[in-house]
Amino acid sequence: MEKKITMPKLRPEMRSGVLCAWLKEEGETVTAGEPLFEIETDKVVNQIEATESGVLKKQLFEEGDTVDVETAVAVLEMK
Amino acid sequence: MERKPEWLKVRYNQDAVNEVAELMRDLKLNTVCKEANCPNLGECYRKHTATFMILGSACTRNCRFCNVTTGHPLPPDPDEPRHVAEAAKKLGLRHVVLTCPTRDDLPDGGAEQFANTVRAIRELCPGTTVETLISDMQGDTAALDVVLAAQPDVLNHNVETVKELQQAVRSKATYDRSLFVLRYCKEKDPTILTKTGFMVGLGETDEQIAALMDDVLDTGCDILTIGQYLQPSPKHYPLARYATPEDFARYKQMALDKGFHHVASAPLARSSYRAWEALEDVHDLY
Repeated sequence: MEKKITMPKLRPEMRSGVLCAWLKEEGETVTAGEPLFEIETDKVVNQIEATESGVLKKQLFEEGDTVDVETAVAVLEMK
Repeated sequence: MERKPEWLKVRYNQDAVNEVAELMRDLKLNTVCKEANCPNLGECYRKHTATFMILGSACTRNCRFCNVTTGHPLPPDPDEPRHVAEAAKKLGLRHVVLTCPTRDDLPDGGAEQFANTVRAIRELCPGTTVETLISDMQGDTAALDVVLAAQPDVLNHNVETVKELQQAVRSKATYDRSLFVLRYCKEKDPTILTKTGFMVGLGETDEQIAALMDDVLDTGCDILTIGQYLQPSPKHYPLARYATPEDFARYKQMALDKGFHHVASAPLARSSYRAWEALEDVHDLY
């Protein structure tokens, strides 16, 4: 089963975020709780954790892309 | 946007955040974690801890470092003290930190709401310690007396920055008034621990920081927190520098050498971050 990982809304006024780094490559195993990608905000860099385990099937955006909140950034193939 | 240094990375887990966020929403409560866009929100919510912001989310001041919204606040919610206590109980908090937006519109600055909330927590959560992180309440001793009469374990009031930058960073507050608040509270009830904090990265010098520490220590203050200023948006007060973890270690040692009982000094240290650790560290003093 596939699950889409979306750009989180880190604060109420957030409309989009810059995906500044991928921390997992396509094909890599991801365990729930492991950081998957980074979003830079005005204050800090947020390492976004996977909330479920699986294999990172597809990265839908590249590093440096601005992504609207709730938009899918990756596809996870669930175990 | 300038790339952040390596030590300004935080972890964020949506599921863990949602659980606490939903509880707050159900009880109509605000947290300063959310309102100030605190970088530690992900860590603290995951650990089921939060700093309650009572008296609404709109502030009557417009300090240039702060992310809390300036606006016209609503009257205090009479149900809020009970709701905070219920949330503290549900979260199983052993130490509760209460703060507020500055309420210059209220005759008592919100002191009564603080006192009522401390008492509500005492009633519903016996054994839980309470820290009140207050505004300067315009230096009104009658208002401060109301808060002190509720016997919080820790009375926290932030001096925020060095003397030389006060006017630029928080124009409606003054350095002397913040020192007065700390001194008055300690003299009025020496059994209540006093605590303050300041930010680095606003353009202060080491000499100015040393002078701040001396001034704060002279009020009898027990606990000091030192953290990195993080500019909430390009419209806020400009960031002057990122201090390194080594700088923070140096400031900590400087403060301990001067005589503070407990010092939390780190890039992401905040006034209420891991506040129970400070209390545990110094609670044998009194």
